[in-house]
Amino acid sequence: MDRVYIVGIDEVPKRLNLAEMEHLRLTFIVMPGVSAEVPFEIKIGKPGVNLEIFGLYLSPRNEQVRFDFTVRHLVGGAHSSQQFRGIVGGTAKAEFDGLVYVAPDAQKTEAFQENHAILLSEGAVAESRPQLEIYADDVKCSHGATSGYLNPEELFYLRSRGIPEAEARRMQMISFITPVISHLPEELKEQILSRL
Amino acid sequence: MTDEKDILASAVEKEYSEGFVTDIEQEFVPKGLNEDIIRLISEKKQEPAWLLDFRLEAFRKWKTMTPPTWGHLNRLPALDFQDIIYYAAPKRDEDRPKEIDPALQETFDKLGIPINEREVLAGVKSKVAVDAVFDSVSVNTTFRKTLAEKGIIFCSFSEAVKEHPDLVRKYLATVVPIGDNFYAALNSAVFSDGSFCYIPKGVKCPMDLSSYFRINASGTGQFERTLIIADEGASVSYMEGCTAPMRDENQLHAAVVEIIVEKDADVRYSTVQNWYPGDSKGRGGILNLVTKRGLCRGEGSHLSWTQVETGSAITWKYPSSILMGDNSSSEFYSVALTNNYQQADTGTKMVHIGKNTKSRIVSKGISAGHSENSYRGLVRMNPGASHARNYSQCDSLLIGDKCGAHTFPVIRNANPTAIVEHEATTSRISEDQLFYCTQRGISPEDAVGLIVGGYAREVLSRLPMEFAVEAQKLLSVNLEGSIG
Amino acid sequence: MENLLEIIDLHAGIEGKEILHGINLTIRPGEIHAVMGPNGAGKSTLGSVLAGRPDYTVTSGSVLFNGKDLLAMTPEERSWEGLFLSFQYPIEIPGVSITNFMKAAVNARRKARGEQELAPAQFLKLLKEKMALVGMKGEFAKREVNVGFSGGEKKRGEVFQMAMLDPLFSILDETDSGLDVDALKIVADGVNALRSPEKSAVIITHYKHLLELITPDVVHVLKDGRIIATGGMELADRIENDGFEGING
Repeated sequence: MDRVYIVGIDEVPKRLNLAEMEHLRLTFIVMPGVSAEVPFEIKIGKPGVNLEIFGLYLSPRNEQVRFDFTVRHLVGGAHSSQQFRGIVGGTAKAEFDGLVYVAPDAQKTEAFQENHAILLSEGAVAESRPQLEIYADDVKCSHGATSGYLNPEELFYLRSRGIPEAEARRMQMISFITPVISHLPEELKEQILSRL
Repeated sequence: MTDEKDILASAVEKEYSEGFVTDIEQEFVPKGLNEDIIRLISEKKQEPAWLLDFRLEAFRKWKTMTPPTWGHLNRLPALDFQDIIYYAAPKRDEDRPKEIDPALQETFDKLGIPINEREVLAGVKSKVAVDAVFDSVSVNTTFRKTLAEKGIIFCSFSEAVKEHPDLVRKYLATVVPIGDNFYAALNSAVFSDGSFCYIPKGVKCPMDLSSYFRINASGTGQFERTLIIADEGASVSYMEGCTAPMRDENQLHAAVVEIIVEKDADVRYSTVQNWYPGDSKGRGGILNLVTKRGLCRGEGSHLSWTQVETGSAITWKYPSSILMGDNSSSEFYSVALTNNYQQADTGTKMVHIGKNTKSRIVSKGISAGHSENSYRGLVRMNPGASHARNYSQCDSLLIGDKCGAHTFPVIRNANPTAIVEHEATTSRISEDQLFYCTQRGISPEDAVGLIVGGYAREVLSRLPMEFAVEAQKLLSVNLEGSIG
Repeated sequence: MENLLEIIDLHAGIEGKEILHGINLTIRPGEIHAVMGPNGAGKSTLGSVLAGRPDYTVTSGSVLFNGKDLLAMTPEERSWEGLFLSFQYPIEIPGVSITNFMKAAVNARRKARGEQELAPAQFLKLLKEKMALVGMKGEFAKREVNVGFSGGEKKRGEVFQMAMLDPLFSILDETDSGLDVDALKIVADGVNALRSPEKSAVIITHYKHLLELITPDVVHVLKDGRIIATGGMELADRIENDGFEGING
């Protein structure tokens, strides 16, 4: 099952209990101009669940965005992955709070989480608080977080092939956010890309 | 074939061998904490008025604060601060004030700590200067004269207050202000002894410096205060070790370590923490609640933290670095082992203020038994930290399914040219690894020690060789009973 | 002559499923036996059960090793007794050097036999000698056990460890899988150099090629958890020509 939430327009649930063997893919999109707090807690209560969460935040002006995601593996044998990517400019602030909780005896859990932010300007701030709270040992869990900037080498390479700077930067940004939007329907992808 | 009895016997032998008590006459201040007690401590140490004022100011501040509870440490007991003796010292023979009491000599011999210059630290080829602290006082500091010839000051904190008051006054509480946190305030009020170290401009300290802290008397707490200053272009490597007797009651160790690193200076600070961890049921053990912070003030200054934490019932500490000077850098390498009912909430804070500052964090947590082991860290890139970089790798190894391993990093980036990268993984010792080792004839216990040592190698390899060997052994000993 | 290994009506399996349905096998000192069979026959199970891998359960039968009850021993006791299993998929142990790993194993064995641990200089001498046997260069000793090893390096590493531990009885579990011609030769040379009238080995494999280099005394065919044929190298030839289908019990 596939669900896409445009934050600020769609109603975003705050809680979800996954108790059936499900493949669930959720995507959260925060467009420019949107400030929001997105709290979300998912409890996985049955083995065999495969949960994929994607998040995109484009905050170029002065937006204040905060994701507060908790994924609880209450039983073993389930898989969850979270991938968040964002571009923050102007004086905007993006915060990511993500807790992955693995209960005692939730063996054979696989849980992965990533948050990557690009800062475009002085004044922009990205904050990441990825948390792992693990009480079972036969598990595969990891998280990663990066914050940086678009690769200048790459930019130079594009420009040296005759691509104007603005266009080149845009290409880099597209490349950066592709992992979280590649699965979306074409019109939505275009809509997002047009806002870059 | 080894008799099963022999295997069991050797397992029981490998207890906390440092858990003995020294039978020596000690003097104490009365139990409890109030301004009179503080005045009494200050008087015993023959301190100048300014230092007594410092203590009193800290005490008044402390009274307005409440103990923090945000750590992932549900076994941290509520402490009755009036039920602690804040000063205990071996009675000094007034006729022979410079001689070391034979009971103390024997104690440190047993612990393998050379408190006389003629001794050589077991297995160490090069000389190491040692400041040995027993309960609230420094017993001896070796090689002071040799070091003084180079202008290096290495002595107990109390000595430094007497002989270099201006230096102490200049730097004390500049990195950890008295109101920084509850336990720092407490320490600032009642600190006993610790080490003072000053390396003058351009001097590379010719030997490693180390402090060894030994708790002895029961009902007491230890509040060491250490101040290390590396002036421009100076360099020093400092090591810290500690042990305490086995007791059923907890004892508090609330230390404050401040380090100032000036332009192009380099300080390497290593800790092998082996406080009594409590018994297999979680009774007793030291509560290790410590504030350690370094200020990389000058351009190009460098501070590295290496810690191996295997003891204590509770470990709560975040050795941190403030990267103020442009091009300054810092690393934090840590192995924290918890077994039985131990709990640790430890990590680091790297605050990048200056340009081109760099930090690196490698944290290896190992949880076994019923323990809880958390990494907590902060990496902050301030708006002015152009082209700063941080890389963090925080791994957790779980041994058994009754313990917990947690990672709580906070990353804050406010500079568009700074880069922060953080990764964390959780793993365990696989059955396959264990079987591979046992098939080669390595017993399961030894196999765990070997695998854990390999896991921690990146951190252990940064310690001076002899301490790396001791640290590896400590890991093995403290893992006793973690499998099967 | 005393038998080195006697497997009597061995039934064993994993996760409640029986894989070996009554294996009988006798190996005398100095003999090299080959066990060939298709995938799923139970070849690896046999090696794992003999070495004492924890996941496997023996439901009935017995194994005498050097006259002693092998199944009553822990994996490390079997190792001290002189049994070595060369793993089909050697396990990585990050951060632990080959040197330290072997030192722990060699000294554990000596301690179990009431012998003194080897002094560092003696140990290094042994290490160098055995590395030369399998054509490994000095750097090898510093590498982390199996970390970043190619398939061939892993197998050669197993033969190296075998040389270091000098077992009475070795089980080479699919030692030839993933090896090119040169690596195969090195492994075979290593194994042959360790042959002696007191030592024995079982080579578990699909293919004839390794057997041409090592020359077993006896060849068995294992199919569906049973030994369905026993003979000489001519059995291996038949398998190469007709496949395992051509062999019937």
